[in-house]
Amino acid sequence: MKLGLGKIRDVLKTGSGTGAQERKKEQVEGRNKAEKEEILKVGNEEDKPENEGNEMELKKTGLEAKERPLSPADRTGTEKTGLIFFPAFDWAISPTHPEREERLLYTRDQIFEEGLMDLPEIAEYKPRLAEYRDVARVHFCVPDIKAQATTPHLIAAGSCLVLGDALMKAEVKNAFALVRPPGHHAMTVAHGNRGFCNINNEAILVEYLRKKYGIRRIAIVDTDVHHGDGTQEIFYNDPDVLFISFHQDGRTLYPGSGFISELGGPKALGTTINIPLPPGTPDEGILYVLDSLVLPILEDFKPELVLNSAGQDNHYTDPLANMRFSAQGYAKLNEKLAPDMAVLEGGYAIQSALPYVNTGIILAMAGLDYSCVREPDFKPGMFVQAARDRKVLEETVAAQLENWENRDRLVEAEVTKHGDFYSRRKQIFYDTDMIQELQEERIRMCPDCQGYKTIDSSAHRSTNDSRIFGISVPIYACGNCQAEAREEYRKRLNLPQYEHVYLQDKKQDEYRAYNSRTKQETIY
Amino acid sequence: MLIGIDVGGTTTDAVLIRNGEVCSAAKVSTEPGKLLDSLLEALDAISKDVPPEQLERVVFSTTVITNLIAEGKTDRVALVLIPGPGINPESYSFPDSFYLKGAMDYRGREIQPLDETEIRKTVDLIRESGFARAAIISKFGQRNPSHELEIGEIFREIYPGCKLELGHTVSGKLNFPRRIATAMLASATRERYQEFVEKIRKALEERKIRAPVFILKADGGTLPVEKSIEFPVETIFSGPAASMIGALALTPQGQTSVVVDIGGTTTDLALILSGKPLLASKGAKLGGFLTHVRAFAVRSIAVGGDSVVRVRKTDTGKKLITVGPDRAGPAYSMGGEETTPTDALNVLGLIKVGDPERASEAIKATASCLGKSETETASLIVEKAAQTIADAVNEMFLEWEQEPAYRIWEVLQEKKARPQNVVGIGGGAKGLIDGIAKKLDARPVIPEYAEVGNAIGAAVARPTLTLNLHIDTEQKIYSVAEEGEIVSLSAANLGNFNKIRLEEAETLASKLLRERAENFGISEYAGEAEIVNSEVFNVVNGWYTSGRLFDVDMQIPAGLIPAWKRREKA
Ligand SMILES: [Zn+2]
Ligand SMILES: [Zn+2]
Ligand SMILES: [Zn+2]
Repeated sequence: MKLGLGKIRDVLKTGSGTGAQERKKEQVEGRNKAEKEEILKVGNEEDKPENEGNEMELKKTGLEAKERPLSPADRTGTEKTGLIFFPAFDWAISPTHPEREERLLYTRDQIFEEGLMDLPEIAEYKPRLAEYRDVARVHFCVPDIKAQATTPHLIAAGSCLVLGDALMKAEVKNAFALVRPPGHHAMTVAHGNRGFCNINNEAILVEYLRKKYGIRRIAIVDTDVHHGDGTQEIFYNDPDVLFISFHQDGRTLYPGSGFISELGGPKALGTTINIPLPPGTPDEGILYVLDSLVLPILEDFKPELVLNSAGQDNHYTDPLANMRFSAQGYAKLNEKLAPDMAVLEGGYAIQSALPYVNTGIILAMAGLDYSCVREPDFKPGMFVQAARDRKVLEETVAAQLENWENRDRLVEAEVTKHGDFYSRRKQIFYDTDMIQELQEERIRMCPDCQGYKTIDSSAHRSTNDSRIFGISVPIYACGNCQAEAREEYRKRLNLPQYEHVYLQDKKQDEYRAYNSRTKQETIY
Repeated sequence: MLIGIDVGGTTTDAVLIRNGEVCSAAKVSTEPGKLLDSLLEALDAISKDVPPEQLERVVFSTTVITNLIAEGKTDRVALVLIPGPGINPESYSFPDSFYLKGAMDYRGREIQPLDETEIRKTVDLIRESGFARAAIISKFGQRNPSHELEIGEIFREIYPGCKLELGHTVSGKLNFPRRIATAMLASATRERYQEFVEKIRKALEERKIRAPVFILKADGGTLPVEKSIEFPVETIFSGPAASMIGALALTPQGQTSVVVDIGGTTTDLALILSGKPLLASKGAKLGGFLTHVRAFAVRSIAVGGDSVVRVRKTDTGKKLITVGPDRAGPAYSMGGEETTPTDALNVLGLIKVGDPERASEAIKATASCLGKSETETASLIVEKAAQTIADAVNEMFLEWEQEPAYRIWEVLQEKKARPQNVVGIGGGAKGLIDGIAKKLDARPVIPEYAEVGNAIGAAVARPTLTLNLHIDTEQKIYSVAEEGEIVSLSAANLGNFNKIRLEEAETLASKLLRERAENFGISEYAGEAEIVNSEVFNVVNGWYTSGRLFDVDMQIPAGLIPAWKRREKA
């Protein structure tokens, strides 16, 4: 039953109060029960030798063994496209900010008027909140998760998880999370909002699926007009996650990164691929990059899952960028890329582009005829690729294909340059919240795994500064790295210069945050 | 005194209610060719000795028109569609469709003009093909009906005899394919419905009954019969609604119940959540078409009293009982060919119908296949049928909990409910309801007069009314979805409409609802109206707000008239 208005306001009011926490607790308990049932249903697979190995290592480090992951179900013969439409009609960054209530209003009008939700090819799902530990699996949130991941963020991330589960249980053949707020500019450390993003929906999804279903190799193709710098940073040192982003050239657009020289950390060189596009690139150019670079690399990488970080701001009417992509182009892109899952990112031409682009993407993913989807002012052939730009693209594609083919040699050569640790310093700017962050990132150059990562981060705001230290143990880390990382965490707890110290042990699925002012440790 | 009559496909049920209680009830068979006789027979059975002037109200519900749709016996309609950009219209499965150029966008702005030559050609073609009716539906026609109106004008000019149905007058809701289906069915059944209403009038006239006459709508609300001619689709599917309101009238107030209507071939489930009947989130499915017709959520499962019982051998050699999904005539005890749950209930002494010898014979045959005793086998059959129905009930609750949510508060709201009561109606209910209730940990309820619960529902239902107000301050217009007219905002007396607050939009909605209620002759229920949904969006051009969009949805929900004295009648 729907609520009357008075009740709506009450619900919103109690959203942060004890009532919400009570509800949350119930929900978590309910979900745990559901997950146990899932294990009964899906978990009767033969033991994998890999898992036994994990357990041995755990014994060595004195940690108790966790439940084995489930296995993804076989999706052959699955017909439906999973869809969550979560427009967050009651949330905005500010009333006239591009990321505001009605961003998906006209998209709702269009896809509801088309009757897309009634199609037998579409299965609509209900969003849920992501849990704090799902966020902690990816981020160090300053000062805490609650401050960075408010209810709408948790719902957007949670929607991705609902669809991820539907995908892994083979309820759907593919899925589209048509949700806001977006996330691809959010990095490991979250001091505030960057490029309209606080937490990274795709990264939260990837780590959730890897933990829960034991999958390993994942490809993320970022088709937003802005460089997906957050997603790139999170997986920069992870050779199991292939991150490909094409975007308007960083010299002409926020966030000013994403050049072809950004190829990944020493042990993951080549698994970050950036394709800067000249401003004004039309369908033709982007589809060329897809056919000649993205698809061959995916073919070669053989990921268990392909995600489309699906921004819609390449559109020729987008107010924040200068590209010339059309609804037909978007539909064709999704048809060719055939991602297992698409997650909405940017796209702010809320009237002239989004209703048509989203209709096109949904139809393409569902395998339906999208030939009649077009913007009111669109005429075939209205945008032609300049010969000069075409040449730029050909060069970029050639250079990146070469990097891809040589990636093993690149890694080999790079690793010898470093000793036990590789470190780099970074400056990160938070445009929305006006924060200047300085980071020192260190990666353990481990011969047995990708190595654990530490981040020493200072944030400078107009009013106050804060410094934190975070340690991250990758999900497939070796026992030595795990033990060493946990020791690093313990050692940092007594250092007064850090306001917060974080341990992100993805291998153990254990997340700790220590507040040195209150001397309290939170375990997620 | 009140009369309720449900005209079903096989029987016509009637009740007379005096002082808020059932005074007499009757069940007569429906003769499709002689509807008038059936109506008179039903009327006489309950009100023969009642002076007609003592009757205060007569309400009818019916499924006979829906049955015509299912049997394909309705009139042919030419569908004139203006789809604009989007899904390829070739993928629709509507019959007799004619596509035209032209398009509106989501805010009702014309993005492609009509082509008059094309329209004239199409109208000629429709006339030459012998269509006497046409439905004209444009995508986003509810946001701007001018294309539908323009085409209607051309029809009137060159094919004046053609009966027209315009999409925007049928439903103001988003969903073009559903609007097509709804307009098509409205057009296809309009005359059949008028014939039905004529029969009703005639029957009442013959018995000198001058009390106000109402028709039940699919959403469980009553509509004055003269108004109903305008909205035939809303009334052609009122049979299930009558049963639902009947169950509501016969169960404790404010409780959560599942209404289980067990027939021969199928069982229909409906939910009452904290005393409120659950509506289908989008609209009813009629004759295989998804429509905009507001109706209760009903789930049909292929298990009934006459479902065929079989013994199935699993791969591991275990023998299992299956019930349904098919029916092969009546139960064995009633002269049929196959073992059925009805036979099992007979053997267990839970019901007494037909020939007990034959029931026993049927169960014995199944028992020998299964390798169990007769009683054991009968219990297993009943158990299996009850389990199938209980599972479907749980699924229905789960589906309700998992309905999509588009707003934060909707996601935060914990939707969780399980039935307190299992209310059995229909012929097969008696023996099975206890078993189903046990599995759901709920109380079994078989109300008194359960077999005419539908007629009681018709007799005691109150009116319903909806009003969906949409305001666009940038375009300076407002529209009420139910009325299909775009009105200038200056007519609304809202002062400076750049400064309208949500409260003022709600006040306007309430005022329009009161007017609408008055127009329907149900002013006394206007006070029951509630706001279902109310929201406002800024329209931002560049970096400043250039207008606001308001949506206020109100309803007078389904319920019972105050005259009905509800008490535990189980
Ligand atoms: Zn990108
Ligand atoms: Zn973007
Ligand atoms: Zn290691």
